[in-house]
Amino acid sequence: MDAAEIEDLLRSLTPQVLGAAVRRYGHFDLAEDATQEALLAAASLWPKDGLPIDPKAWLVTVASRRLTDLLRAEQARRRREETVAQWTLTEIEAPGPAGGRPADGDDTLVVLFMCCHPSLSVASQIALTLRAVGGLSVAEIARALLASEQTVTRRITRAKQSIKDSGVPFVLPPGDTGRLDAVLRVLYLIFNEGYASTAGTQLLRVDLAEEAIRLTRILRAIRADYSEVSGLLALMLLVHARHRARAGADGSLIPMAEQDRTLWDRSAIEEGVALVTAALPQGVTGPYQLQAAIAAVHDEAESAHATDWKQIAALYGVLLRLDDNPVVALNHAVAVSMVAGPRAGLTLLQGLEADSRMTTSRRFHAVRAHLLEQSGDRAAALVAYQTAARYATNTQQQRYLQQQIARLCQPV
Amino acid sequence: MKYMILTFASQHDYQAMAGKAAGQPAWTEADYAALGAFMRAFNQELLDSGELVETRGLSAPVHSRRVRLEQGVPVATDGPYAESEEVLAGYWVVDCTSFDRATEIASRLASCPGPEALRTRAYADVRPIDDHQPDFEG
Repeated sequence: MDAAEIEDLLRSLTPQVLGAAVRRYGHFDLAEDATQEALLAAASLWPKDGLPIDPKAWLVTVASRRLTDLLRAEQARRRREETVAQWTLTEIEAPGPAGGRPADGDDTLVVLFMCCHPSLSVASQIALTLRAVGGLSVAEIARALLASEQTVTRRITRAKQSIKDSGVPFVLPPGDTGRLDAVLRVLYLIFNEGYASTAGTQLLRVDLAEEAIRLTRILRAIRADYSEVSGLLALMLLVHARHRARAGADGSLIPMAEQDRTLWDRSAIEEGVALVTAALPQGVTGPYQLQAAIAAVHDEAESAHATDWKQIAALYGVLLRLDDNPVVALNHAVAVSMVAGPRAGLTLLQGLEADSRMTTSRRFHAVRAHLLEQSGDRAAALVAYQTAARYATNTQQQRYLQQQIARLCQPV
Repeated sequence: MKYMILTFASQHDYQAMAGKAAGQPAWTEADYAALGAFMRAFNQELLDSGELVETRGLSAPVHSRRVRLEQGVPVATDGPYAESEEVLAGYWVVDCTSFDRATEIASRLASCPGPEALRTRAYADVRPIDDHQPDFEG
């Protein structure tokens, strides 16, 4: 096994080792440090000495030993501070399902629930999930999030302190769909973070999208019964399938309609379509499945022109009933205009004009301008493009809008 | 040791870059693409050498707000800059061995492509970051 394979193995074992250590001894915060140290020890020893017979057991043993040391040090410090609290170093062994030992998957799930605990800030949830479940180093997380290492360290430390203070027990909470939704949200944000681009850096960030897909696969292996997990995995695969076609040679973003579809990842599309097709008939259809279904319709179209806009408009209509969000409403209006013409789209946009999130939105005004031009009202389109340009903070978007303005200023 | 490299531009410069002539010719598609390619290569190199801590580009000065006390109360004003005023446009924080090395990195920005008139008046500043280390830490 080479160093890269060992690293993959260690990262896949990270949440299981942490879960086992916390289940036995409690102290999520110190157990997380102990797990990281065990992983570091393995990363330096295994490439030389070869793999132990049971790598996970080895890591749990080393992490437990290290945790015991950390707890002793903590105890000594407390004694020096003359506090009377007594630590118990004995195993606490929470009962697992049916009284037996919980499966590895349950440990991973509880770790995920802790990392995405509602008392933590979103930024902390993301950083802690990438570290405690993803097994990424602070330096790797900092690079991926374009944050400094100190910032990431502080977010993780603060998150662990909040978990400690809240006294959340290390067991699966009953009726956990709310907690599961929180985990899905964090995974979705990690995925999107992989796509958020700042000037000149977008190409460095694809890894975070792939990491989100890997983590969602782990979650799906444990909770395939909750169809939104499959929906989210499908959505990620179906969007990520287009990543090679998203940027031109010069790094500029290419809109979907103009992308070279031969660059789309067929196997990711097939997997995503199969997942969402299987998930849709199961139980309640949630927003991730609907967004995945929309992405699937795009991915399966031979060309932008051949897209089944009728189906996309219908899916956005359903999504809008679940989630009264102006961005969804805007997408719905675009889809409707593709089916029923620009005037139908403009009528729907009128309903959004009072929403302050839309009046300052570059995209809202750009869509409106596009539909106005299609409907033959060039003068109003020009004004709408100028309004869009006022709100655009990104140079590339500015350039696109300035081109439209220049074009409309030319005599026909 | 950490250093900050800063670059500057005016609202007019931003507009020209966005393709709108503003007291100077608008950038062509080729101008803009060349800038993007240069920046990506520049950043990737700093990332590979392990010297890049972070880098950001700022949006146009027109999107700025200035906050200051007025009669003891903080008040925000939109768009505080004149259109030709050069203000911070972007920065890099680099962690490197010496001030000279940071200067060398900043000097490479001089070969950044762009319209000639802009290139001749553009400049970058390099400033050491006040990273206070207690003396006894050696």
